[in-house]
Amino acid sequence: MSDVQRDASYESRLSRLESIVAELEGDGIPLDRALALFEEGIELLRSASDELTQAEGRVALLIERAEGLFDTRDVDE
Amino acid sequence: MSYPRRRSWPTSRSAGPAANFDLFGASSATSESAMPALAPVNVASIPGASPENATPVASLTETAKAVIEGALPPMWVRGEVSDFKRHRNGHWYFCLRDASAQVRCVVWSRNQRGIPASPDDGMEVVAFGQLTVYPARGEMHLTVTSLDARGDGLWRKALEETRVRLDRDGLLAAARKRALPPSPRCVGMVTSPDGAALRDVIAVVRRRAPHVTIVVSGAAVQGATAPREICDAIARLVRWGGADVIIVGRGGGAREDLWAFNDEGVARAIAACPVPVISAVGHEIDVTIADLVADHRAPTPSAAAEAAVPVRDELLASIDAERAALVAMMQDRIGDARQMLADCAGDLRRAASLDTERRRARVATVAGTLHALSPLATLARGYAVARDRASGATLSNVADFAADRDFTLTLRDGDVVARPVAG
Repeated sequence: MSDVQRDASYESRLSRLESIVAELEGDGIPLDRALALFEEGIELLRSASDELTQAEGRVALLIERAEGLFDTRDVDE
Repeated sequence: MSYPRRRSWPTSRSAGPAANFDLFGASSATSESAMPALAPVNVASIPGASPENATPVASLTETAKAVIEGALPPMWVRGEVSDFKRHRNGHWYFCLRDASAQVRCVVWSRNQRGIPASPDDGMEVVAFGQLTVYPARGEMHLTVTSLDARGDGLWRKALEETRVRLDRDGLLAAARKRALPPSPRCVGMVTSPDGAALRDVIAVVRRRAPHVTIVVSGAAVQGATAPREICDAIARLVRWGGADVIIVGRGGGAREDLWAFNDEGVARAIAACPVPVISAVGHEIDVTIADLVADHRAPTPSAAAEAAVPVRDELLASIDAERAALVAMMQDRIGDARQMLADCAGDLRRAASLDTERRRARVATVAGTLHALSPLATLARGYAVARDRASGATLSNVADFAADRDFTLTLRDGDVVARPVAG
């Protein structure tokens, strides 16, 4: 299996954050909704920050074994 | 395709032109004459030396071919192209000439791979080839294996032809350029796994964004197989699906080393790639076709890496800023809610006091009406009411009175006891 973790949610997290801010900026959302959005936004920022500081990038060579099957072998830097 | 500038001159012909002569056509004749200086030479027996020994045409042209090929190694020839023709079978035919001479040239289709484009009539070129004779026609021609226009004309022509084809398909339109992802997690790299380009990209990514992973899809970046390998490497990354952005490139090199990045197939593979592509061919002057098609052009692999990944500290700072903005926004929102609550309380108070006021006014109205209707008011106007002393019943008719029976007469300011007089 691939040892390079694929995190497709990273970009989507940022775009989710943008939509949260947009909704919070809008008029007329109930306070409990605003609070829920705020909590979600803070959590998104926290995980994004964690990911940046804790994740350790790799250098790997992509190898295709068969159709749809891939290996990533770490490269000595 | 390597360029044969540095090709060493053949050594097999170092014995000199005469060594390759077969002027005598038949091997039986040579075997005898090859005996050095033993037999006396009979001049009349030399082929072509007398009418009786006339040489067949085929021997002559074959011999001419051998003499010319033996005497002249492959060489660069300079001249102007004329009468260029591309034959049905794929071979190119043209004349190379200058003010006073010309020579026919042929480029076999198998030798055209390394030539960027066919030459145009009137183009000043240098052609590398072997002068030879086509025995069947007795004609001399230059068999060209390499060709370049002076001043890079052919490279430019090939580039321009490819550019026009890609442009016709809309692949060069500015509107096709995609934005690079603001914060990729994984950078795909199509290059040679042991090239300088990869080392440069790794160094830059490590320094700027240590959280980003680099996945290398290996390909030869020069040589005949390079275009195919680069296309395959891009396709591999796309099938894998993990890269947020792809860098396609190599370090600097001679123009012919970079030629794979002018390949039309490579350009189309870049254009078709669903992930944004950064071209990174290490060159300063020329723009490659890959540069024109890519979503972003970087002059070097290092510059490509800088374009691909943002500095992590800046990302963290922007996350902090976003958090502060979010908190401020929420504080505003809560402030608004508090204000709204205060406004509501005020409204409520106002509404309540208004209600009391209304009730009070209504009571006054009712009281006024009641007052107007009160019998006391009638008394105030000077009337009196008579009532039975015992029962308190109102005495409204004459018949209600009895002689000498006391009754009460109520006036505005008090009661009077009265008695009817019998009469």
